[in-house]
Amino acid sequence: MAFSITKRKRAVDIPLDSFSDIAFLLIIFFILTTSIQKMTGFQTELPAGEKSEVKQTEKTPTVNIGAGRLLLNEKSVSLEQLAAELQALQLGTKADDQRVVLLDSAPDVEYQLYFEVMAVITASGGVIGILTEDK
Amino acid sequence: MKLRRNRKGPITMPIVSMGDIAFLMIIFFMVCSNFVKESQIEYKSPTSLNLASVESSSPSVAMDKEGKIYLEGKPVASADALKADLEKRLKEKDPKDVKGRSVLFKCDLRLARDDFQPVMEAIVGAGGIVVAVGDLLKPSDN
Repeated sequence: MAFSITKRKRAVDIPLDSFSDIAFLLIIFFILTTSIQKMTGFQTELPAGEKSEVKQTEKTPTVNIGAGRLLLNEKSVSLEQLAAELQALQLGTKADDQRVVLLDSAPDVEYQLYFEVMAVITASGGVIGILTEDK
Repeated sequence: MKLRRNRKGPITMPIVSMGDIAFLMIIFFMVCSNFVKESQIEYKSPTSLNLASVESSSPSVAMDKEGKIYLEGKPVASADALKADLEKRLKEKDPKDVKGRSVLFKCDLRLARDDFQPVMEAIVGAGGIVVAVGDLLKPSDN
């Protein structure tokens, strides 16, 4: 005796009503927690390793920052003049040891001015040598 | 006079593809954005005309307005502790790999040299290359 079993197939429905709501909540989360702005800055070429005694020759440009004024080789300059004078030296075309620009600063110099001077030295192709006092 | 009945039903918006569009937008945001790790750190970026775009995937060191040091958004006790932590991270990097040894340095513009210089020296001492981060100043802002 043959039985015919008829399977009653039910259409399985995934509830998709709240699908877009969840998706938009996720979008709002990503918009609030992320930043898409490009970071700007400069890569410094600070000499790595232990402190060394740099032989300061007459030709080594030295920048002094202190008390709101800027000196290049003991001559008072503005930031624009510093940029122009360092560009004129064409440091980017020289050998590494001739690209050093010594940077000396007073202990109370704020990072804003220090940052601008470092950016100018780096943009002109110089390698920053930080002068430190022995304690 | 016979008036014609308006047989048009209620206007419905097609929202079937809304979920698809939303997920495409999510994928876009996930791919194109970086999470702000240092959102809780209070610092004001310095500005300069001589800046270029930098890679944001490198480890970052930040200093807030009070001179506290943070590595990847987590507080670090001192410059020496930072140096030790960075040495661990950078020891397997190739010395010639400039990109791999780059460390982003974000510092409050009001901090004095005595506060930020030891941190910069710690980064360099640990074998890192300091990438100073700031805001690009346009000539018109000057």
